[in-house]
Amino acid sequence: MSTNERSLISRFAMEVVTGCIALLAGIVVVLGALEYEIGWDEAGPQPGYFPFYVGLIIIVASLGVLVQGFLNRSRTTGEAFLTREGFKRVMAFFLPLAAFTAGSYVLGLYVGTFVYLAGVMIFQGGYRWPFALTVAGGITVFFFVLFERWFQVPLLKGPLEAFLGIY
Amino acid sequence: MDNIASLMHGFSVALTMHHVLLMMLGVLLGILVGVLPGLGAPNGVTLLMPLTFSMDPISAIILLTSMYWGALFGGSTTSILFNIPGEPSSVATTFDGHPMAKQGRATEALTYAFLSAGFGALAGVVLITLLSGWVAKFALRFSSPEFFAVYFLAFASFIGLGGASPFKTVISIMLGFAFTAVGMDTVSGNVRLTYGFDELLRGISFLVAVIGLFGIGELLLTMEEGLRFEGVKARVSPRKVFETLLTLPRYWVTLLRSALIGCWMGITPGGPTAASFMSYGLAKRFARRPEGFGQGREEGVIAPETADHAAGSSAILPMLALGIPGSATAAVMMGGLMIWGLTPGPMLFIEAEGLRSGASSPRCTSAMSSPWCLCSPPCRCSPPSCACPSPSSGRSSSSSA
Repeated sequence: MSTNERSLISRFAMEVVTGCIALLAGIVVVLGALEYEIGWDEAGPQPGYFPFYVGLIIIVASLGVLVQGFLNRSRTTGEAFLTREGFKRVMAFFLPLAAFTAGSYVLGLYVGTFVYLAGVMIFQGGYRWPFALTVAGGITVFFFVLFERWFQVPLLKGPLEAFLGIY
Repeated sequence: MDNIASLMHGFSVALTMHHVLLMMLGVLLGILVGVLPGLGAPNGVTLLMPLTFSMDPISAIILLTSMYWGALFGGSTTSILFNIPGEPSSVATTFDGHPMAKQGRATEALTYAFLSAGFGALAGVVLITLLSGWVAKFALRFSSPEFFAVYFLAFASFIGLGGASPFKTVISIMLGFAFTAVGMDTVSGNVRLTYGFDELLRGISFLVAVIGLFGIGELLLTMEEGLRFEGVKARVSPRKVFETLLTLPRYWVTLLRSALIGCWMGITPGGPTAASFMSYGLAKRFARRPEGFGQGREEGVIAPETADHAAGSSAILPMLALGIPGSATAAVMMGGLMIWGLTPGPMLFIEAEGLRSGASSPRCTSAMSSPWCLCSPPCRCSPPSCACPSPSSGRSSSSSA
């Protein structure tokens, strides 16, 4: 990261967050394991044994990450983990992708693909809208033919396909 | 020898028209995937894997292994021309490859890269073919304590040889185990760690995990770092390639040493990246004239490339024979094999003799065909110079040498 870009999250903060998330994950795994017996019976380990110890190791390692993070605090507080520009770039990619994923639940994968491609091409790529719509439409039709007809793999469909009678 | 007979049988399976076409398609796709940043060999293999479900296993493996080689080589292309390694294992190629390109010797650099890659890959494949039967026989004597010991060695070396904090490596390994524990337990039949979500009954799919972690994760990382390209144009003429080929035997010591390092690091869980760095370091140390490394020495391209590809091939051996993948792509391919019902491990050699030899020989031929494939499209498009593609919004920025 160049020092010209402003830091949004410092390395130290991220280390602490990582440690905490890992700690949470370890606790979730341990709690899930405790639903079953965590001992050893005559047939071998009981169902909860393996996840319990895996979760325990995660908890211990995450505490290790936290301790290391605090020990290196002086060095890592000045270090940038994420800069403002980097964050903007990531969000510019991630937010449309998340919207596409959420939208596909409602609209179906094909309509979602069309909307995502057309939207990203017009608003982020700067292409003219006739070209963008044509390309997006062409790719959507190509995927439809590829998956539905050639691979015979039915994908998630939405209200438009139901309206048109395509199953 | 039994292995040679199987290898010949494998060649007869692999060298049909259909399979050769698949190899060429795979290599071209792989080069395309390797040249684009953000998409590397593991991602490319993952993304192509669902397409192969409709093929028979041998064709699918041929396509995927050819793609893997193409991607490895595509990574070297961007290392040399753009100083951007397309693969972690191509980082060492940037040290001398890009300076060579900037001095106007891009064709030489590319030629050395793909010739030594082919040599390394062949060495790796020959090794695993000769050794595989023996390793499998040895592995058949394995039972639970031995498997545990081998896996423990693998994970311990990840923690020890990995650059990151050991605690984070341990967390990653254990999270992987936790993901596999989700769903129905095969031993007791109990449903674990689903917290009532019905969708998790079958566990977390391997493909979902790999696409999320390798695919989307890498894309987000690439977006964050921003895509900036200043490349070097390279005109690849067949005459220059042939001239460079003739000078290659001069570097036989480097080639052999790097191939050995690569094979060793591939079989033990070192991986292609570690192999390429180690090979570059040793080449620099044992060179008769150590000055010039870092400014465009030929050995600086030959050494890491040979080791990288030798390791890439031999990483398949522990995956096939023991069920332990030696690299990320070997792990993805192992997932693919399991989806096709072929469980890697010693039993694979007993149950699917034809498949194993059919898988080794395409690696030989696709290793040999990948440099050829790279040569032919540029040859067809010369005299126009061959600028490498730049991604996103069609801007192509290049600076002349």
